[in-house]
Amino acid sequence: MPWESVIPNLLAGEARPLACPPMDSEAFTAFYERSARSLWAYLARVSGDAALADDLMQESYVRFLCAAHPDDGEVASRRYLFCIATNLLRDHWRRPRSASIEEIPEEFFATPGDSAQSDSKAMLGPAMRLLRPRDRQLLWLAYAEGYSHREIAEVTGLASASIRLLLFRARRKIGRLLREQSNDDGGQP
Amino acid sequence: MMFGACAREKEVAELLRRGHWPHACSAELRAHVAACYACSDLVLVTQRFRSARADAAGVARLEAPGLLWWRAQIRRRNAAIERIGKPILDAQIFALAVTLLATAGLVISQARHGLRWMSWFDELPRSLHLATLWPATLTSFDGRFWLLVPVLATLALVSGVVVYLASEKR
Repeated sequence: MPWESVIPNLLAGEARPLACPPMDSEAFTAFYERSARSLWAYLARVSGDAALADDLMQESYVRFLCAAHPDDGEVASRRYLFCIATNLLRDHWRRPRSASIEEIPEEFFATPGDSAQSDSKAMLGPAMRLLRPRDRQLLWLAYAEGYSHREIAEVTGLASASIRLLLFRARRKIGRLLREQSNDDGGQP
Repeated sequence: MMFGACAREKEVAELLRRGHWPHACSAELRAHVAACYACSDLVLVTQRFRSARADAAGVARLEAPGLLWWRAQIRRRNAAIERIGKPILDAQIFALAVTLLATAGLVISQARHGLRWMSWFDELPRSLHLATLWPATLTSFDGRFWLLVPVLATLALVSGVVVYLASEKR
């Protein structure tokens, strides 16, 4: 039997439990259109690196398509996608680097001519940079994505019971930083 | 101002989630949030993060989904090929190990008996009647058969390489 006929059989049959075809091309395109912007925002704002966010987002989707993922709706698929992205971020932080991500300036994201975006980044960016990566992840998932504690635990792999306390501490810290920043700028909190 | 966790946080969070804060809630709740550290933190952080999310989503640089789809297909196919190749490689390693063990066992057992099997080589041309096929000059040469061994070995090796290359190209 030639190899060309063996491989598709494997893909269709034997390999199915390991990596069932999750979506066809059209379904994936629709899912991508609905989820890519929020995933990129998560990666870019938590990592502080737009180029890294580009790379990790692509890798997240490729792994999502290759893996056997939960087949219970788009919400679960989206959560699974965020879980992959979170693991990739963690792997990136674990790798030794010549420069820390903390050293990358927030101005890297600046888009000239868009004052509303610049204002938002200027207000949140410096405070985010003063937080630990895990706290950034927790805060973003909870307050930007609106995930529950249980969902955050699934995405991050942390114990569900500890999410509440970690989130409370992280929120208190960033709240204080944002207030200090507002006071320094003379603006409203 | 109150410090620590607040019992009304869930209520405020729900209003924020629905987009009812601050205009669609009671003046009493607004006054509470102004006085409560935890609730004001919740409002401040939620509003900032949502604003940042909207901004970042607006400037996201998206790859074409079709490209990602095909990249995933190629990776899945490569993984399948690797899965096929692994048992074959394992079988080859196993066969090589068995061959080496058998050869080592044979050599050791024969060495214990004084390498008598070496005489078998000298008898081989006579038993195969190679003298009728070989030139007389070669057969008359002393230790002649030892010339034949490397020739046959080289021929077998070259044949194997040729067959391998031909099958690879195909």
